[in-house]
Amino acid sequence: MIQHRMLSKEDEVAAGGEENEVRREDQEKINRFSRLHQRESMLEEQLKAKQKDKEDLEEISTELELADEDELVPYKIGDSFFQLPLEEAQSLLSTSTDQIDSDVSRLEESLEEIREELQQLKVSLYARFGRSINLEV
Amino acid sequence: MADTKTVSSQHTQTNPRGIPVAPFIDDVSDYVSSRAEVESTLRSFQEMISKYQFMELNTQRRGAGLREKIPDIKKTLEMVRFLKLRRENTSSELTTHFELNDTLYARASIYPADTEEVYLWLGANVMLAYPIDEAETMLQEKLSAAESSLANCEEDLEFLREQITTLEVATARVYNWDVVQRRKEKAEGKGGDEDEGNAAKGLAQA
Repeated sequence: MIQHRMLSKEDEVAAGGEENEVRREDQEKINRFSRLHQRESMLEEQLKAKQKDKEDLEEISTELELADEDELVPYKIGDSFFQLPLEEAQSLLSTSTDQIDSDVSRLEESLEEIREELQQLKVSLYARFGRSINLEV
Repeated sequence: MADTKTVSSQHTQTNPRGIPVAPFIDDVSDYVSSRAEVESTLRSFQEMISKYQFMELNTQRRGAGLREKIPDIKKTLEMVRFLKLRRENTSSELTTHFELNDTLYARASIYPADTEEVYLWLGANVMLAYPIDEAETMLQEKLSAAESSLANCEEDLEFLREQITTLEVATARVYNWDVVQRRKEKAEGKGGDEDEGNAAKGLAQA
């Protein structure tokens, strides 16, 4: 939720000799880099939150393994707790777990794709501009 | 936004939400013909950047609001679905601890027969009874709407970032051009400029 604005500041780099002109395709690459970088930060944040939820759910699953079958389990739905038979609670839990598992792997996949493309852009931009451009965080 | 048009009339495209594309400079020397124009050009870039940043801030706020709203809708929807499922499968009563206030829970028994209708808080001090199926549809629609506006927000934020980046690069290029011009003048013995002038062309993330 808290997404920090990326403050841009000009990194001062002494440019030696002839300056490489920025062509439109270069600008597009820089923009793409900038866009993906922003998306990466956002997805990282989402992934972190999901992973925490996932851990919590896993913990609950372990706890429920130990629960007494004859006792009702207070299971939280929305803001309320429902007294449910163990079996029912477990089935609800596994639905949530499956959901979160697929969310997490989806996020991880997109992050991987983004990082790969960022890497390629970095290589090609550094090749063109060398020390005149700074793409590090 | 009108400024963007006057700066470069060939770049009046906008994104789907009507945010204009920042002008790209093909050749700095076409753009700034003398060193006297450098300052005003840089100022106009800065002005555009500020406008984009203002939009960025607003969009971020809107997105944050939606990110808060979506889990709430999801929770309600989850509950409605649960009640519906119970109604279909069992007729026994449901014991619940419901939240009376923060950290204060009370016990209640709900008979599936009583869950024919649910009451949804619509805001503006209005609460309305919905048959459970209609409630589900309504909440599902609200959720999809919120999710698609959030997606738009995120797309806009990425678009805005690109425009700001374009202008930052343009700023660096005009500045560099100025430095090179100054050095030329100096070499020709015209300029009495004291400062060394480090050329800056930077694209910094973070």
